[in-house]
Amino acid sequence: MSVQSAPSSRELLRLQPGRPVELLGPPGMGATRLGCRMLVEPSRSAPVAVVDVRGWFSPLAAWEVGIDPDRLVVVRCPEPRMWAQLVGLLLEGMGAVMAEVPMRFREREAIRLAALARSRRARVVFRSSGTPLPSGVPYLRLRVVGSGWEGVGRGRGLLARRRLTVEISGRGVGGMSRTVEVEDVEANPVRLVSRLAVGR
Amino acid sequence: MSRRTLCVWFPDWPLADETSERPVMVVAGRRVVAATRAARERGVEVGMSRREAEGLCPEARIRPRDPGEETRRFEAVVELLEEVVPRVEVAEPGLAFVPVGGAVRYYGGERQVADVMTGKIAGFGVVHVAVADGPFAAYWAARTAPPGEPRVVDDTDRFLASLDVSVLLDGRPDSESLVATFHWLGVTTLGRLRDLPRPAVASRFGLRGLEAHRLSSGEDRLLNPRLIPPEVAVAFELEDPITSLEQIGFLARKAASKLIERLRGEGVAPHQVRIEMTTADGEVRSRVWRSLDPMTERAVVDRVWWQLRAWLDSNDRGGITRLVLDPSDLSDEGRQGSLLDEGSGKLAAHRALTRAQGLVGPDRVLRAELQGGRLPAERVLWCRWGEEPPAPERDPEAPWPGATPSPAPALVPPEPVPLEVEWEGGVPSRIRLGTRWEPVAWWSGPWRTTGRWWKGEGPVDRYQLVTSAGAFLCVVSDGRAYLAGVYD
Repeated sequence: MSVQSAPSSRELLRLQPGRPVELLGPPGMGATRLGCRMLVEPSRSAPVAVVDVRGWFSPLAAWEVGIDPDRLVVVRCPEPRMWAQLVGLLLEGMGAVMAEVPMRFREREAIRLAALARSRRARVVFRSSGTPLPSGVPYLRLRVVGSGWEGVGRGRGLLARRRLTVEISGRGVGGMSRTVEVEDVEANPVRLVSRLAVGR
Repeated sequence: MSRRTLCVWFPDWPLADETSERPVMVVAGRRVVAATRAARERGVEVGMSRREAEGLCPEARIRPRDPGEETRRFEAVVELLEEVVPRVEVAEPGLAFVPVGGAVRYYGGERQVADVMTGKIAGFGVVHVAVADGPFAAYWAARTAPPGEPRVVDDTDRFLASLDVSVLLDGRPDSESLVATFHWLGVTTLGRLRDLPRPAVASRFGLRGLEAHRLSSGEDRLLNPRLIPPEVAVAFELEDPITSLEQIGFLARKAASKLIERLRGEGVAPHQVRIEMTTADGEVRSRVWRSLDPMTERAVVDRVWWQLRAWLDSNDRGGITRLVLDPSDLSDEGRQGSLLDEGSGKLAAHRALTRAQGLVGPDRVLRAELQGGRLPAERVLWCRWGEEPPAPERDPEAPWPGATPSPAPALVPPEPVPLEVEWEGGVPSRIRLGTRWEPVAWWSGPWRTTGRWWKGEGPVDRYQLVTSAGAFLCVVSDGRAYLAGVYD
């Protein structure tokens, strides 16, 4: 039995053509900033887009991790019925897309989007905070299961350094889930710092 | 093939339905595109910036441009023109071209044709009509013709030679530096430009210069129609007739996208598109739209949408069952465009975003710039993608002491959201997230901003709150707590 090694930091934070990634976790755990970090590399060669369902996305975080303001377009889509069509349109032309997944979506549409991403070799990261996408959709699923801050005390200091505990699953890791830790230091890009565990 | 072309031009077509005696202006983007006589008497001119016009005539009513509605109204004019000559080409609402070579023999002369047409459409407002060789010369002859009195230009070369080179600027602000350079070199008229050797003009001024030389020589695009690749026309057969505006919009986007995609494969773009619609009861209607510049996908979508809407508004025939887009007068623009800038990636993104604008509306496709401010929401200046951003309200280069430090929250509500916070001894102990209460493990703050007290703003305290469910930016104002950001 061959054991697939855990993805390196480069692989984890790199969006690959035709391999959709899902970032899962409740708001406040750091998944959106992680998604922004994934858009940095594609943004160097083509404009990237963020599909913003709630209208809360702030480009400040994207700029901090290294996306040029001229290369970032935010498309607001509060109507779930247009969501899949909009993401499909953007997949056909943008360098990469981070799409917030609406609370209610049709599984069939998500599957079609994943198929489109694969056929067009498009880079896409889905940001889910509610129901996960069907298991066949993401090539890699990153679930943020923990988040700890340093630099802040009881009424003192400031938010400075965050460590995210991320559970990775999906076809990209051969069906074996892994847990890794990702560091996010002030305005510096997030980076993988350690591999904590490997398990089924 | 005769090049004699009749131009019908309504200078203030966007205001043709305006009955008010008060000054009224129609604005597109930041420019005035039409103004009533009352507004003109106060110094307002077409092409002026909106701000300048409002300064001259502050009491004027401002109307945004609505090309769809203008097309619907213009359809009645075009139908009357087609009673005289069937092949009318619409350039934009209020401007149409008619090839009159055949009609001249029937009516006995160009002036007679022009008189008949002018008489038919005189009731729609101030109209200028002229006949010359090709659309460019006919348009400028109409611009200089007295209202309601057709002008027939027999010697087009001489007429063009007398025009100032600034006519090349019309509808093409990107030619401003070209025209300025011509003036600086003493090339003040199209006649002088025409006398220069074409290879020298092309070598010095590139494609724009070459095009200007062609126009000054009376070589409209009609002279150089390219061969149309077969099977580029796009036809949609619809099982169920469509009637709703939403469906029409979708169909227009789909058809235009397919057409431009096909033409891009050939490396060309159309200067003309014939739109043909078949209704549920079998009626077939057709209209040709032309443009001086090669049409982009967005331009085709707009024209298809305007035309279908105008037809359906004016005559309910049970919906559309067939749509055909037939391009003609093709240029090399498509191939040139694909090699511009950073290659096909940028063009593909442009196209995708244009289509996204069509789907969700231009107000929801946004880019942002940094501006000054203390709270995250204040520091982002949003603008529509494809438009120039407005001037920042707050200087981003200023120091902004007390600004919320990085890292910035990735999620910021458009307006602060009320947040339930429990306090113990003046410090936050729990916050309510949805239906559950989360203990505050760590917090920083309060940092106080005094606000613009001279405008009645009170002080605001900010806190960074860390719970096991995430970190949040909280502001407290007048004793009430609000969520101002989520560190997601």
